[in-house]
Amino acid sequence: MNLHFPIFELPAGAEALRGEVREFIAAERRAGLWQRGGDFATHYDPAFSRRLGARGWLGMTWPRPYGGQERSTLERLVLTEELIAANAPIAAHWIADRQSGPLLLRYGSEAQRREFLPRIARGEIFFSIGMSEPDSGSDLASVRTRAVKVDGGWRIDGRKLWTSFAHLNHYAIVLARTGHAGESRHEGLSQFIVDLKAGDLEVRPIVNMAGQREFNEVVFSDSFVPDERLVGEPGNGWRQVTSELAYERSGPERYLSFIRLAEAALQCAGARPSPRLREALGRTVAKLIALRSMSIAVAALLHKGAMPNLEASLIKDLGTAFEREQVGVYRALRTELAVPSAEYLSALAETTIYAPSWTLRGGTREILRGIVARGLGMR
Amino acid sequence: MTGTLQPVLSADPMVRDAAGRAFTDLAADWFRHEATSPDDGARTQKRRSVLDAVAELGFADALASPDAREAWVDAATIIRAQARSAAPIDMAVLLATGDRPASIAGDPSVYECAIDAGAPADAQAAIALALGRCLQICAAMEAALDLSLQYVRDRKQFGRPLASFQAIQHSLAIAAEELAASTALSDLALACMVREGCASVRLPGLLDAAALVLGHAIDVVYDASHQVHGAIGFTREYPLHRHSLNLLRWRDHLHRLRSGELRSAERLGDAALQAQGVWSTVTALMKPGDRHD
Ligand SMILES: Cc1cc2nc3c(=O)[nH]c(=O)nc-3n(C[C@H](O)[C@H](O)[C@H](O)COP(=O)(O)OP(=O)(O)OC[C@H]3O[C@@H](n4cnc5c(N)ncnc54)[C@H](O)[C@@H]3O)c2cc1C
Repeated sequence: MNLHFPIFELPAGAEALRGEVREFIAAERRAGLWQRGGDFATHYDPAFSRRLGARGWLGMTWPRPYGGQERSTLERLVLTEELIAANAPIAAHWIADRQSGPLLLRYGSEAQRREFLPRIARGEIFFSIGMSEPDSGSDLASVRTRAVKVDGGWRIDGRKLWTSFAHLNHYAIVLARTGHAGESRHEGLSQFIVDLKAGDLEVRPIVNMAGQREFNEVVFSDSFVPDERLVGEPGNGWRQVTSELAYERSGPERYLSFIRLAEAALQCAGARPSPRLREALGRTVAKLIALRSMSIAVAALLHKGAMPNLEASLIKDLGTAFEREQVGVYRALRTELAVPSAEYLSALAETTIYAPSWTLRGGTREILRGIVARGLGMR
Repeated sequence: MTGTLQPVLSADPMVRDAAGRAFTDLAADWFRHEATSPDDGARTQKRRSVLDAVAELGFADALASPDAREAWVDAATIIRAQARSAAPIDMAVLLATGDRPASIAGDPSVYECAIDAGAPADAQAAIALALGRCLQICAAMEAALDLSLQYVRDRKQFGRPLASFQAIQHSLAIAAEELAASTALSDLALACMVREGCASVRLPGLLDAAALVLGHAIDVVYDASHQVHGAIGFTREYPLHRHSLNLLRWRDHLHRLRSGELRSAERLGDAALQAQGVWSTVTALMKPGDRHD
């Protein structure tokens, strides 16, 4: 079997950073700046993002000329896992820091890097992902949004769907068809940096099941994008998009979405914790250790310049299945708690309602299993 | 910072001292004999003497130097390779039973751990054996999955290889995911042993975690690998049963070495309650301790 997650130890510097991040979070909480709740894709707070930027904690792995701190991928992992484990409000900068910035660093022009990266690192501009469409979800290569070359730029027509925070963010990186699909259907796709505040496109709200406005429909009609906003080579979009996947699928956000619920249950254990609660907490700790060591392995492989897409997909499927199972585990333990706290009940309601989205967003469970199956030689 | 990004269990050639070499042989010997001898008086005797020797040598002493600890990695390689081949157990069963295939009703030892394969008196030896069991279990799960992957590519029904059916693909993908999690955890425990020795304060916690994660993974692999094989996997003729029976026996022993699956879970849960945090317990158990030099 060609799956391998080499074991890495976090360097001492990364562990030192953990202490710093925990102190920062504790101080923020003491000051009442935010409440625990939501996750990387829902808890949106631009002011918090700017405070992280001021500390050099956004784009922290990027080169200094682009506003980065040149710190290691593993240090970024420590920062993000602590923020996620604390349910800090990271949604505003999350996509820009995790995915759009690294994409521009890898494929963007020098001018694009100088224009966008320092502002992302300061927490000034936020990005959305413009991939999905009404008729293109899992089958992303079938996107129909078209960009046609005109003098000085491109004209875009089409609709993007489920574009998270397009109503609040500044830019979206949009995948559009610019040429013939070819036999593989992976040719003729290109990525553009689209200004969401420009007048010639429309952002329509879609309210989610929890009653929140997070995702949107973005409608392009003959919308103009200048040449300098094309990312990388025209026609290279598929390769560029897939290079984002390992970043998107292997991080702590793929196995910690439920953590607030487990921590809340622990806080309600009382003086004589129920054996069932003790057992559940132990099983949670055990699986988290396994998932986290795999996630660290992928972070280290990315740091070395590898593209562990298969490993990342595997972590996401295993991690999100675990998250969903955990909601049921801690719901069943309600009667084992001394007194179910308001925080427990709120965490239970929130995780229960949001759980279906965990195994959809960023690649569905079925698609991920297909990728693993291909890696195993079955397709 | 880049310098620290070497995999902990690198395959680099290692220098060993005499203690390390002795330990390597001992560990390999124990697992080999445990797996090959027919279950008779001689086997019991052999096991006892190996266990006594392990206890006598004292793992802490044997692993006192960094070079000696590195030898554990070699031992792990041997243990894994043996578990993967699994031929010995089949031979043993055939030898022990002659013409009549043993049945579970008539001979519980076909899959159960014999009593004398319980926990050695020396606590550190028990730790080392539990880690060895984890390595064996991961290797046997991998072997069972490899057999399954080969089989679904070869076997055709409805005019297509089984591997082309999505239900088959997904069930083996899930099993491979569980195996990957188990291997990551076992390797983490091995890295901890190599670095900090058998007396490491966090090693028992990592082994408890492994007992739980591997314990569940075995269920998933046992289920999926037999399901995709159909009836042929349920025979003494086809080799899948060797791995399955090994997995069941080794899991029993691993859990016994940790005094029971539920105890493993409760100990980890108590650690989280004491630390007042699930997440902080995870990071603490995974934080490399001081080298035991
Ligand atoms: C909360 C949330 C936020 C999101 N944010 C964004 C965003 O910011 N930007 C963006 O571009 N997209 C976003 N998405 C969209 C997400 O990427 C898609 O939901 C996902 O790719 C699946 O597409 P779909 O919803 O069209 O489902 P479909 O692809 O239509 O699939 C429906 C079901 O069929 C299954 N299925 C599909 N094909 C197969 C197959 N070959 N074999 C077996 N089963 C199959 C799927 O697994 C799924 O269970 C978001 C989604 C959610 C839930």
